[in-house]
Amino acid sequence: MKLHSMALAATLAFSTLLVPAQAADTLNIALELPKPEHGPYHRPYVAVWIEDAKEQPVKLIELWREKPDWIKDLRRFWRKTGRSDQALVDARTGATKGPGKYQLSWNGQDNSGKAVAAGQYLLVVEAAREHGGRNLVKQAFNWDGSAVDIQVKAGSEIGAIQLSKGAK
Amino acid sequence: MLSNKQWLSAKTTAKTTALGLLAAMFSLQLSAHTMTVVPSHYVQSKTGGWVSVDVSATNMTFQWDKGIPLENFKVFTPDGQQGKVDSVYQGKRKSQADVELATEGTYRLELGNGSRFFTSYELKGERKRLMANKKDRAAQLPAGAEKVVTTQGNSRALAFITVNKPSDAVLALTNKGLEFQFDRHPADIVATEEVTVTLLMNGKPAAGVELDLSRDGELYRNEPERMHHKTDASGKFSFTAPVAGRYLLEASYQADVSNELTDKVREGFTLSFEAALP
Repeated sequence: MKLHSMALAATLAFSTLLVPAQAADTLNIALELPKPEHGPYHRPYVAVWIEDAKEQPVKLIELWREKPDWIKDLRRFWRKTGRSDQALVDARTGATKGPGKYQLSWNGQDNSGKAVAAGQYLLVVEAAREHGGRNLVKQAFNWDGSAVDIQVKAGSEIGAIQLSKGAK
Repeated sequence: MLSNKQWLSAKTTAKTTALGLLAAMFSLQLSAHTMTVVPSHYVQSKTGGWVSVDVSATNMTFQWDKGIPLENFKVFTPDGQQGKVDSVYQGKRKSQADVELATEGTYRLELGNGSRFFTSYELKGERKRLMANKKDRAAQLPAGAEKVVTTQGNSRALAFITVNKPSDAVLALTNKGLEFQFDRHPADIVATEEVTVTLLMNGKPAAGVELDLSRDGELYRNEPERMHHKTDASGKFSFTAPVAGRYLLEASYQADVSNELTDKVREGFTLSFEAALP
């Protein structure tokens, strides 16, 4: 019995190495868009994506935008992903959103649907608003099966972000 | 920038200005004026749009001083072919043209009229120039001309615009004159990231090319904060744009060649570009 359970534990440990432990995990991203106090308000263009440790884009999570003319104002997003992958941009495009709280998630997969290797990744959020500013948040997190609980403090165009992990 | 004919007419109307600008085109660094080509946008995220391009001879970087004729202003479209330039206007302080960006890829804006010869000399202690190569100069030089030197000069003012996905056709080397090769696409120059550039003369790495990198806003700073570089033995130099914004790279190269057409070669270019926000 004891031997058996040990074998089972070994199998589990072994399978943990083979199959990404985070396969079933979800990174929960609670994002807030603030309500600016001054000036005319236009909804911001927002991109949310994951980069690997070398700052290469891995997965585009959300893109909220309208006319193509202004996507370039999401400077990093445009340079890293948007300009060279129109299909992906079109596939992920959603309507722009006003001030409020939004619950997003990442399933640990890259843009082709493959689970990413364990390691350090970056959550990147970029927002640019007509007659407003531009904010970029780059938040590192470990994607190796361990817990994630990170608070990112609010900026002028991107409100507080909370990262946590759990099955959705 | 001036053809012989324009040169003659300019000579009668605005001799001093024309001389200054001509000198500027042959020597972007040594003269008072720097030819600059600056598009309203370096990056666009849709095809079918337009950019307006400012062209001016400047003293301070991006501070327009003199409009110049645009007969030799060209656009090269992402397929490498010459495209159309619209709405050309020569103003007092700057000239302007519109360029349509019909297709995706990288465009090159170029001001320059190719390689030209000029001969400088002194007559009774006064420095003068005439447009002639070494073979033709004898017939045009006045009696008593001294310190006669013929220079083959070529200067260009450049900028690149990228619509959607960057492309490379307009970056291709011709292996003629002074050219450059970045270690990344010009649309990938980002503030705080080191960029390495190789300078080539007739296709071969050129050591000792003088470079001056300046950025927008000199009028509003006590120190211009220009960065001076010189290419190493492998023709390379590296720079890091400290902040995002518009930059101007000026390069100049001189050599004594002494062939049947010229005594010296002087090549130069300016390239305006933006360092993007990280």
